[in-house]
Amino acid sequence: MSAREDFERWGGAATFGAAPELTSMQTLMWRAERHPVQSSTSTVIIDLDRAPDWKRFVAATEWGTGLVRRLRQRVVDPVVPTAPPTWADDPTFDLGYHLRREHVSTREEMLAHAAQMALRPFDRSRPLWEGVLFEGLPEGAAYVLKIHHALADPLGTVQLLSMLQSGKRAHTARKPLGESVAEPGADPVDLAVTGLRTDVATLPDAARASVRTLAHAATRPQAVVASSLRYGASVRRMLTQVARPSPELSPRTGKKWTFLTLDAPLEPLRTVARQGGGTLDDAAVALVLGGLGRYHAARESRVHEIPVGVRVSLDRADDLGNRFAGAIISAPLEIGDPVDRVAAVRGEVLSLHTERALEVLDAAAPALNRMPAFVGASALRTAAVPDAFVLTLPGPPRRRYMAGAEVQGMYVLGPLPGAALTVCLVTVGDTACIGVNVDASAVADVDELRACLAEAVEEMTAAGNAG
Amino acid sequence: MSGLSTAAQEAIDAIEAGPQGPSVGAFFDLDGTLVAGYTAATFYGDRLKGREVSPAEFLRTVVTAVDGELGGDPTRIAHVAFSAMRGQSEDSFADLGDRLFRSKIAGTIRRESRALVHAHQRAGHTVAVASAATKYQIAPVARDLGVEHLVCTQLVVEDGQFTGATDGPMLWGRHKASGVRAFAREHAVDLTDSYAYGNGYEDVAFLSSVGHPTALNPHRDLRAAAARLGWPVLDLSDPVGGSLVAAGRTAAALAGMNTGVVAGLTYGLLRRDGKEGRNLAVKLATQLPMTLAGVTMDVQNRERLWTHRPAIFVANHQSALDIPVLGNLLERDFTIVAKKEARWDPRAVVGSVVIDPAYIDRSDSASARATLDGVVERIRSGTSLMIFPEGTRSATPVLGPFRKGAFHLAAQAGVPVVPVVLRNTGELMRRNSLVLNPGVVDVCVLEPETDWNEDDMSERIAALHAKFEQTLAKWPSGASA
Repeated sequence: MSAREDFERWGGAATFGAAPELTSMQTLMWRAERHPVQSSTSTVIIDLDRAPDWKRFVAATEWGTGLVRRLRQRVVDPVVPTAPPTWADDPTFDLGYHLRREHVSTREEMLAHAAQMALRPFDRSRPLWEGVLFEGLPEGAAYVLKIHHALADPLGTVQLLSMLQSGKRAHTARKPLGESVAEPGADPVDLAVTGLRTDVATLPDAARASVRTLAHAATRPQAVVASSLRYGASVRRMLTQVARPSPELSPRTGKKWTFLTLDAPLEPLRTVARQGGGTLDDAAVALVLGGLGRYHAARESRVHEIPVGVRVSLDRADDLGNRFAGAIISAPLEIGDPVDRVAAVRGEVLSLHTERALEVLDAAAPALNRMPAFVGASALRTAAVPDAFVLTLPGPPRRRYMAGAEVQGMYVLGPLPGAALTVCLVTVGDTACIGVNVDASAVADVDELRACLAEAVEEMTAAGNAG
Repeated sequence: MSGLSTAAQEAIDAIEAGPQGPSVGAFFDLDGTLVAGYTAATFYGDRLKGREVSPAEFLRTVVTAVDGELGGDPTRIAHVAFSAMRGQSEDSFADLGDRLFRSKIAGTIRRESRALVHAHQRAGHTVAVASAATKYQIAPVARDLGVEHLVCTQLVVEDGQFTGATDGPMLWGRHKASGVRAFAREHAVDLTDSYAYGNGYEDVAFLSSVGHPTALNPHRDLRAAAARLGWPVLDLSDPVGGSLVAAGRTAAALAGMNTGVVAGLTYGLLRRDGKEGRNLAVKLATQLPMTLAGVTMDVQNRERLWTHRPAIFVANHQSALDIPVLGNLLERDFTIVAKKEARWDPRAVVGSVVIDPAYIDRSDSASARATLDGVVERIRSGTSLMIFPEGTRSATPVLGPFRKGAFHLAAQAGVPVVPVVLRNTGELMRRNSLVLNPGVVDVCVLEPETDWNEDDMSERIAALHAKFEQTLAKWPSGASA
């Protein structure tokens, strides 16, 4: 039964990332990258119930890179930024460079290795991923995949992995293959020239649009001024009216990453979310706040609220949607009741919808891309930096296998662009797999934080089971 | 017609169809939701008029207000105001709140918001006003609406004086939301079944705490958010303020009234029939001005105005407009009892020439009694009487207690009482206003009541008062009702 599903999914994977050019946002991340402080990589840790047969694992990965062309492509940047960078097949692609295996004896060791691996920058002239299979773990094995945002954002990575995994343990013969199209290699100078030519061609249009805008401003100055003021006020609110960063979560260097993973049963989390009138996203934020609240209490640090970076749908308030904006909320740290905490988070997140500047980054990205890379980087940094980023991602709804090994958990460890911790909650079957990347220079007692987060998970689970 | 917009009626129908009982909460924001405009501005305006504001404070207030508009902290302006209240006595401020309510704020309560509040009250819901304002602004409004609970910003009072500080946070934005959640816990209110109404962009968190949020006459940013969040938006009509056009129409109406009176009396003189002349004058003097001012009437059970004459017509009283409306309804062969002071009221003086009112001197009970004896005679000889048993105009559509005078007269003269319920005259012409706004007056004539006597008078008056209240709370729909 799952064989057909597998084929449908794999067919979908073949169309993954077919666009030749990087999108505005991807370009911004590509050009703004200053690894690891301004990093654009995510790391996925996949727990497997056993060590898969290495030959079969390599063959499966080989097949995957054939199916998803992007995994064999590199980014070609034009010599001057007149055009967005382009994907082009890497003629020197060698799976051996990207995939290897290591031996560890404990999960902690594996997590430490994974963090070190994530901290190392990519070779930007090669395909932007790296995978390591860690063997020798008492619980089985772990596959750690590091992937650049330009290739796939965390959501895309989880989707991609979910697509590539199999619904059964046995090997599938005659798996579908991607069409091998021999693309001409892109040349940086050609790209720049083509981009410039396009710019010149569209210049009259752009000029006409500007003239229209100016004419509108000249005929209705009051409306334009009022609208600009309101927009400006909204930007100011978004950037300034958030909680001050917690002194307990500093100093941040962004150079000492520590990975933590936690599991929570999904159903109680959803129950608490529902009781608080919120979504799973809100419950995830509330869970992190519960942990950080405990941590602050344990460190005898009195902080009422902290800035937390969340994802807001630009289409509807629902979980699903295609357009998202990152925004920062002032998250309460001292609400004891988990349901009440969810409701408070929900209120903060929904309040963002009154801000016309919510789409500010979205709107600014195309313009920023035309500027030299360092301008883009500084532009990304102007936004206030939260203490924590919290993100929820939908993973595979049921059991999956990789080269005959069952997937036990899937954790996404995001980068730390200025935050003290980045938390990603991935739904895998009936479990919430929570990956936490901690800036160990900012968090004085990582073990305490781990214990506090675990207590918060227990608290939410208990509240959900009671309700 | 019900007098409510379709959208408001649908909202009320949904409330009636939904869960009932005190575990369902209904939370209303004050400024911009229950009342049009800002009550704080009314308070501030009063202080400005009283020259209580120093130039430095004024400047600080303006700068803070502008900064709040430009993305600064919008609650700072309130704290500027609170700190300026330091040392002021709480009692005098509460009195000021009552005074400003009667003179200004009462007239800004939206009629349809009132209808929503009453719909929740009928459903037995726990109704509360949730606002960043202080109780001195809210309490009079809540009292008038019969709302018991306030969730609001508390000011610290020591020895009967404000310290200028707030007790806890100002209930704005997230703090209002957490205030509502705390209230729900204390009063065993289930928020998923509950309702909230708000208009400000800061009300999103407050609205999202309940299962049934409504953006009511929302600020533009809340309107955008409501569209994104799929929340219902309800646009209620504002109480009509005196526009320039309305003022012009009022002037024309006054002129029309005088013209009508003169024309009618002239006709009477020419025909040498004083009574007919007076009747015509009343007709012209009431119809002309109402037509000119754009006021029409929607009358239910009009026939009851004629089946029991002579009679004593009793009506509720909210506006100076009530008199021409009733004059227009009764048309002929009636008079009024008025307090002596009203004889020289410029709005009534021309009319008073015509209908020959019985003036009573309230300060002199002997003379009042003599006047009333004369009135009984006039009633028996065929002139109906129009009385407002509340005695004085109420500031809002809330019904005041009935005095007994009208009913004693009915018993003495042996005539029936015809109850006339007027709904929205107060909106078209506010208390203390000289401006009449165009619109439709809803009138409902209740079943005439006969055989009044002293024995069970109090009970019958109470029953009649209840009927008025019921009719006002749930306006009968359609002419058949």
